[in-house]
Amino acid sequence: MSFLEHFKVLVVDDTTTSRMLITDALQEMGIRKISIAKDGEQALRMMMEQPCHMVISDFNMPKLDGLQLLKAIRSYGPTRTTPFILLTGKGDRQLLEAAVALGVNNFLTKPFTIPALKKAIEAIVGVLK
Amino acid sequence: MTLVTKSRITVMRGEYHVVDREDVVLTTILGSCVAACIRDPFARTGGMNHFLLPGNNGRSSLDAQSYGVHLMELLVNGLLQRGAHRHRLEAKLFGGARTIEGLSDIGAMNAEFAETFLRNEGISIVGGDLGGDRGRRVEYWPLSGRARQVMLSGDKGFVAPVPPKQPPVAPSGGSVEFF
Repeated sequence: MSFLEHFKVLVVDDTTTSRMLITDALQEMGIRKISIAKDGEQALRMMMEQPCHMVISDFNMPKLDGLQLLKAIRSYGPTRTTPFILLTGKGDRQLLEAAVALGVNNFLTKPFTIPALKKAIEAIVGVLK
Repeated sequence: MTLVTKSRITVMRGEYHVVDREDVVLTTILGSCVAACIRDPFARTGGMNHFLLPGNNGRSSLDAQSYGVHLMELLVNGLLQRGAHRHRLEAKLFGGARTIEGLSDIGAMNAEFAETFLRNEGISIVGGDLGGDRGRRVEYWPLSGRARQVMLSGDKGFVAPVPPKQPPVAPSGGSVEFF
């Protein structure tokens, strides 16, 4: 089995259409094991039950936002080093600085293109084949 | 209803505005673009966006949709931040005209995207007007949810929105109110 068949990604976004788009894009890249969560709280619960290899999360979400989710994931042993990509709006410099301080691995500004998403993932795990 | 409209905000392509004042009217001019007018009647807040999905020339349709999703999300998140609840949101959609004969129907693509997005998010569509082959000028009073559209006189060559300083006004008739 190739790396892509094992690679488990958790997509976190409160907008259904956005989750569908990201999921479709990941499938186009050959990623097969994709879980989805509709807010940070659900994502955290899923990560505690069964950690994945990468989290791609929106920032603006109810209950637990992307930054709070990142903080929680970084403070829980088994997920302390899980790669985390944050999706943000334009011009959120303060937010990005806070995310970097919390150990974010990469970020993408919305609206992003599929090649940009692929690059953001490859910058962390290497070229997807 | 007697209501003095004190301020008029023009929503240009790629923009969105959320307001919580009764005396504000949001207005825009649409060709094949679509404007979503969304409000929460209980939280007394509402807004409008104005988007045109980029064409498919060399891009994947996912990329085009990503742009539309972003503008819809900005509007919805703006409403939620002002106390709106997702399940109470109601929308009116305008625009999506086929303004140029012979080219692919970008207007229909925009309209379909907006309808699918709202359906996916569970936001009910309570009115509006999509399609046709003429541009529209739309006015939306976000707190009352009242909307009015004026069809622009049968110039099929109309594509781009006119700058806000000189809004074209249809000389006669064609004005429809959407409650």
